[in-house]
Amino acid sequence: MNKVKVTFFPDNKTVEVERGTTILSAAISAGISVNSSCGGDGVCGRCKVILKSGNVYSQPTGRITLEERQKNIYLACLASIESDLEVEIPTTSRLDLRAESAQDTELRMKDLFSKAEEIEIPKPVLTEKLFAYLPLTTKIYLELPKPSLQDSVSDLDRIYRQIIMHQDIPIMQTGLANIRQLGELLRDSDWKVTVTLGRRNGTTEIVLIEPGNTSGRNYGVCFDIGTTTISGQLVDLNHKKVLGTMAAYNKQATFGSDVITRIIFAQKQDGLEKLHHAVIDGINQIIQDLIKEHSIDLNNLTAFVCSGNTTMTHLLLRIDPSNIRRDPYIPTANFVPVIRAAEAGIKINPRGLLWCVPGVASYVGGDITAGVLACNIDNEEDLSVLIDIGTNGEVVLGSREFLVSCAASAGPAFEGSGVSCGMRSSRGAIQKVKINNNKVSFETIGNDKARGICGSGYIDIIAELLHEKIMDKDGKLEPKKSDRVRDGEIDKEFVVAYKEEADAVADIVITEADIENIKRAKAAIYAAFATLTRHMDIKLSQIRKFFIAGGFGTSINIESAIKIGLLPNFPLERFIFMGNSSLIGARQALLSEQAANKAQDIAQKMSYLELSTESGYMDEYMAALFFPHTDFNQFNLRG
Amino acid sequence: MAIEAGSVSVVSVGATKTEGGTRAHKIEIGKKPQVAFEVWDTAPLDWPEEFDKVFAGSLKDPFSWAEKCVNEYKAKILCVKLQGAHPDFENKPPEACAKFISQLLKKVDVPLIISGCGDDAKDNLVLPLCCEAAKNERCLIGSAVQDNYKTLVAAVLADEHNIIAESPIDINIAKQLNILISDMGLPLERIVINPTIGSLGYGLEYAYSIMERARLAALAGDRTIASPFICFVGQETWRAKEARISSEEFPGWGSETERGLAWEFVTAVALLQAGADMLVMRHPKAIEMINKNMGTLR
Repeated sequence: MNKVKVTFFPDNKTVEVERGTTILSAAISAGISVNSSCGGDGVCGRCKVILKSGNVYSQPTGRITLEERQKNIYLACLASIESDLEVEIPTTSRLDLRAESAQDTELRMKDLFSKAEEIEIPKPVLTEKLFAYLPLTTKIYLELPKPSLQDSVSDLDRIYRQIIMHQDIPIMQTGLANIRQLGELLRDSDWKVTVTLGRRNGTTEIVLIEPGNTSGRNYGVCFDIGTTTISGQLVDLNHKKVLGTMAAYNKQATFGSDVITRIIFAQKQDGLEKLHHAVIDGINQIIQDLIKEHSIDLNNLTAFVCSGNTTMTHLLLRIDPSNIRRDPYIPTANFVPVIRAAEAGIKINPRGLLWCVPGVASYVGGDITAGVLACNIDNEEDLSVLIDIGTNGEVVLGSREFLVSCAASAGPAFEGSGVSCGMRSSRGAIQKVKINNNKVSFETIGNDKARGICGSGYIDIIAELLHEKIMDKDGKLEPKKSDRVRDGEIDKEFVVAYKEEADAVADIVITEADIENIKRAKAAIYAAFATLTRHMDIKLSQIRKFFIAGGFGTSINIESAIKIGLLPNFPLERFIFMGNSSLIGARQALLSEQAANKAQDIAQKMSYLELSTESGYMDEYMAALFFPHTDFNQFNLRG
Repeated sequence: MAIEAGSVSVVSVGATKTEGGTRAHKIEIGKKPQVAFEVWDTAPLDWPEEFDKVFAGSLKDPFSWAEKCVNEYKAKILCVKLQGAHPDFENKPPEACAKFISQLLKKVDVPLIISGCGDDAKDNLVLPLCCEAAKNERCLIGSAVQDNYKTLVAAVLADEHNIIAESPIDINIAKQLNILISDMGLPLERIVINPTIGSLGYGLEYAYSIMERARLAALAGDRTIASPFICFVGQETWRAKEARISSEEFPGWGSETERGLAWEFVTAVALLQAGADMLVMRHPKAIEMINKNMGTLR
């Protein structure tokens, strides 16, 4: 008998696992999300757990102090289970850490990943009328003339003939499954059927034939699959209308917070399988929630378009991503043909279609292609820049003449992950902050009671702390300047909202470690921008439009972003906040074949600058590790 | 064609009687390069025997050591390192250090550079008291580092001294620290940068290139990096194996006395070329050589 039982507290969950399994994998099996930035290599020291009873074997590690060892604290990823165990997982070792009570933790952990939340999205700035309407899938209702001795074409040809009378498209293919059931279906439905047509790689396919008229009900979903956040949108394909948008954290975060650790994890046994299922589960959950909320039958969901970085796309399709990490960084596929969604495990109509917006390179994926599509950069005569601020920060520079991109690893701080009171931009997230004479006033999304801080909130807070001199330009807090600065567990912290005024079990704070995190993130992104413009020998004054994308919140205070040195000091009117441009682009591709073709053109046209071999990047990064910048003359704001 | 050139700021150390102090003269760091003699508040444990010979046994008594530097070797400025305050050394209490400084100021009349023991927490207790003890004497006090500058800056401001801003061979941090210090109200003209150096064979080129970059930026007009440089040549040189090891162990390397001297001298010469304004050195002979060399500079 080689099975042992492990019980986790305070969740009070028990799982049975093989002897020798690590506590971390047992926790994952139990559905508990443990912090593990390094993906279980014993390097990050963030998965500390307390052993209550039982035996484990653990390799020695510098991450556990002698004192901790005496308190029976282990790293979950290094401790292999020898007997039945009782393990407590402290809050600090849980994802999205935050001081809170056991019950609260349990409650929140239960739905941290599973519950997708409705998000507010900024109004699209650009019209979608740019592209001709022709969704990935369309439905047409056909009343076929009954066959006779005079009209004796086959059932399939009869359908083709009728479709061509409606639309000028050559039918190229039909699946065998459709043909097998065709004879019976046509006769049972009295020759009145609805045909779903899908556009597959330049040809048209009869995706689905249903009895009766369902042509009024045709829906699709589009997704932005981010390293940290997954956002999905339900679209009425007939009326070009967005019905709802939801977002959830990417469950893959349990296996590492950045793409590199996930690629490494994918090479472990069952790693790829686990990562694939984590993302599929998240997506299917969002789809379920969306169709439930809008009372839509899953069978009427016939199209799925997603954009994501190259690694995310590989993992979604269960393609081995390992070569993305290896020199010379070649992905298995940038362009993936339209496939059946079911093949990837996506639960929509079993014959529904899936398309991934194509990527450019290993570290510039379909999300950026979609972003360029949404911003229409490739049609502009003047130079534009798109900065997509996510776990990976990508920068695109270009016009109708050329497009060049680069990517920098920024970390998930701007998405509210890896920071002490961070949260996704959903209801209750502090997104705007003003500090005046030690008084803090803030605005939350949905005007709910404050639950945490999202990216735009962090940008505001740091700009205000800097302005009020409560924080120095290096990011250190000054206790003498405000009674809201106090000693926290590890370092100093500033109280943004006391728990009495918030919907939280503890005060909502920003710590010096959080500030350091944001500083690194903003430095990585600014340095990418600076390196790219320098490489292309572009003067900043030549850039006419500056698109900002990312999941910070419903808006971002551009002035604050300039004050902290995230964005260059341009006249404010040149900035255009896009919100999630990857999702907008995916939706355009879902609704328009022309847009989808355009996305292919963009991906083919865009070139890529590899920053890791670009000597100037590290210098730029080091110089940007200051608020706003070591070369502060670049950031003198007017007024 | 008019070129707008920047210049290195001049930091004035030592207050004479007319300026309210008791120093015989003042030293202007940032004009001509100069040398400070390094003395300690306690007998050094790991200096080569050679120094005992040179200073004729006076190393054990900091006051006579300092007096010897001034009277015999004509030191124009001294750099006092409060090594005795270090918790791993003698862990002298801050009050004792302050008392030492006041006494030293009575024994010698040259301007002083006061350097802490290097332990941040201890220096935060020791240096403010020393600043107070040396009030009105306009010393140069160090070192402020990026993670620990506020206490020292406040003390230096209160007692009107100058400050050494130390960065780990990093031009960005050097500049950032200058900005942070001046944000607290201490003018850039009262900061001397310690860029951190390595001696010959131990990263000298790296230090050289950082100093060169910083100086070029300063001369191009960047005020925030236009502070003069102080380089702790003696401290780095005499750690090098090549400067210490005896000729008995490595007969092929020749006399250790000459070798050590040459090592300190050559390191100093290179740093002079990189733009060093104040060299803190140990061996009187090496200092004599570098002074002679500086006499040939134009």
